[in-house]
Amino acid sequence: MDVKKVSIGSGSLMWGDIIEPGLEMIEKADIDYICYDWLAEVTMSVLYIQKTKNKDAGYPPRFIEWMKKVLPLAKQKGVKIVTNAGGANVEGACSALKEALNANNISGVKIGSILGDDITSDINNFRKEGIKFTNIDTGEEDIDRIKDSIVGAYVYLGAEGIVECLEGGADIVIGGRLADNALYVGPWIHEFGWDHNNSQHIDKIGAAITCGHIIECSCCCTGGMMCSQWDKVPEPWNVGYPIAELYENGDAVITKTPDTGGIVNSWTVKEHLLYEVHDPKNYIMPDGIADFTTLKLEDAGHDVVKVSNMSGKKRPDKLKVGIGYTDGWKQELQHWFCWPDALKKAKHCEYILKEWLKRQKINVEKIEIDYMGFNMAHLSLVKIPDIDGAKDLPEVGIRICAKFKTKEEAEYFREHAMIWSAPQAGYVFNTTTAPAKPVPIIKLWPTLVPRDAIHIKTDIKEV
Amino acid sequence: MGKKIKLVDICYARAGDKGDISNIGLIAKTTEYYDIIKSKVTPEKVKDFFGDIVKGKVEVYPLDNLESLEIVMYGALDGGATGSLRIDGTGKPLATALLRMEIEA
Repeated sequence: MDVKKVSIGSGSLMWGDIIEPGLEMIEKADIDYICYDWLAEVTMSVLYIQKTKNKDAGYPPRFIEWMKKVLPLAKQKGVKIVTNAGGANVEGACSALKEALNANNISGVKIGSILGDDITSDINNFRKEGIKFTNIDTGEEDIDRIKDSIVGAYVYLGAEGIVECLEGGADIVIGGRLADNALYVGPWIHEFGWDHNNSQHIDKIGAAITCGHIIECSCCCTGGMMCSQWDKVPEPWNVGYPIAELYENGDAVITKTPDTGGIVNSWTVKEHLLYEVHDPKNYIMPDGIADFTTLKLEDAGHDVVKVSNMSGKKRPDKLKVGIGYTDGWKQELQHWFCWPDALKKAKHCEYILKEWLKRQKINVEKIEIDYMGFNMAHLSLVKIPDIDGAKDLPEVGIRICAKFKTKEEAEYFREHAMIWSAPQAGYVFNTTTAPAKPVPIIKLWPTLVPRDAIHIKTDIKEV
Repeated sequence: MGKKIKLVDICYARAGDKGDISNIGLIAKTTEYYDIIKSKVTPEKVKDFFGDIVKGKVEVYPLDNLESLEIVMYGALDGGATGSLRIDGTGKPLATALLRMEIEA
């Protein structure tokens, strides 16, 4: 007897991803679902700030443009969509999508929405009830220090809302801060009828979490980002996006859209398994805790990897929360100098900058100065050569990034850049890009909240 | 005393970020090399190697099934992707930076 399998593809890994590979997958591959992850830690903070300025904003408008193309094709092919592109404003994203579909005469689409991840306005009540938001990275006990600069607080939600929407017949499920991983685990739990509290299903949910983890960064497991075989990827301009076929028995196959470039083998899968993991025996997600140390990878044909013996543990009692808070402004500047004495000129630039700063009232809280081409990436591990030994370097860049309490200080700093950049003959005046403007720094306070304090609400509307 | 080996010759590496934590997946090119890195790439050695770049503790987790190590470094991203002043606040280059490390095999 055939074991039931459900195939899910990854359509995007972030806001900046591209639309074509997902469309090609829906067209050519035999998939049941396609998931679109649009969020990163940075993205959420940006979206919360947008929403503060305009209550209708707070989701990526580009996603709506995508769905005008994706939804009709997906509907035709019987492929369902799950996404967290609701960002900081799920309702706003859903109504924008409805409007766009209406305007384009696309009908018969059921849009499922999930609310409940945004706890920005609940934080004070939670604290009154005695919940502490201890920083899980630093151990700082509660948010007293940052409470007046919070821009948004969101919970990483698991599969429940997705399952509810799919049970209700949704063609597309839109949530806000659904954990990337839950986008995948949700449909599998729905299709296989797995239960978080059934001990028979714990390893299987662990398998779903593992498969979701492997493919959730789109091209990153199909040759679109590789450290081992980056120079051996076929057609790197046309990398196919990944598909995980999970079987009801908890085994899986990882592959990609047929007739595309890119590569799937045990190396590409292994690389991505290790990505953004802490303790690999305890990969903690809202739907369970996967153990990556038991699984077996096996090359099983062209662009086919079998994954077996995946396992997991019961889901945690607490959910992860990200609290974004403002912490001043940063200003970046880049200056380039050319032969002769390029390095000496860059050093002279640094010298003038530091002397100038000593004579100013603006307060630099922190400053990073890097020599481009030397230590911008590997920082203090790379020694800058002696000036005498580097006389003939053709060109050297200096990158300065400084942090200030206020935007005004950052702007003042930027406006005075000619003082330290221009004196050296050989300064390369950049006529193609203006210097970057000050950027608000949004820091992330990672913390936890009891699962039973969080209440989600789902809704389905047909267009 | 064994001979000195640079990690770049025996491993691949890829880094990710969560908050101010950088994690590096260190993948041995062969089984023999995995045995070497498993015993030689210790939290103390990694912490010492990165110096002022990594402010907090370092943890190293072995994955025998993938012949790889997961290296977790706290306080490694100058405050994390959103707050860092570095060009890459996510610390992706820290993976290849680690490949500069030498061990005695």
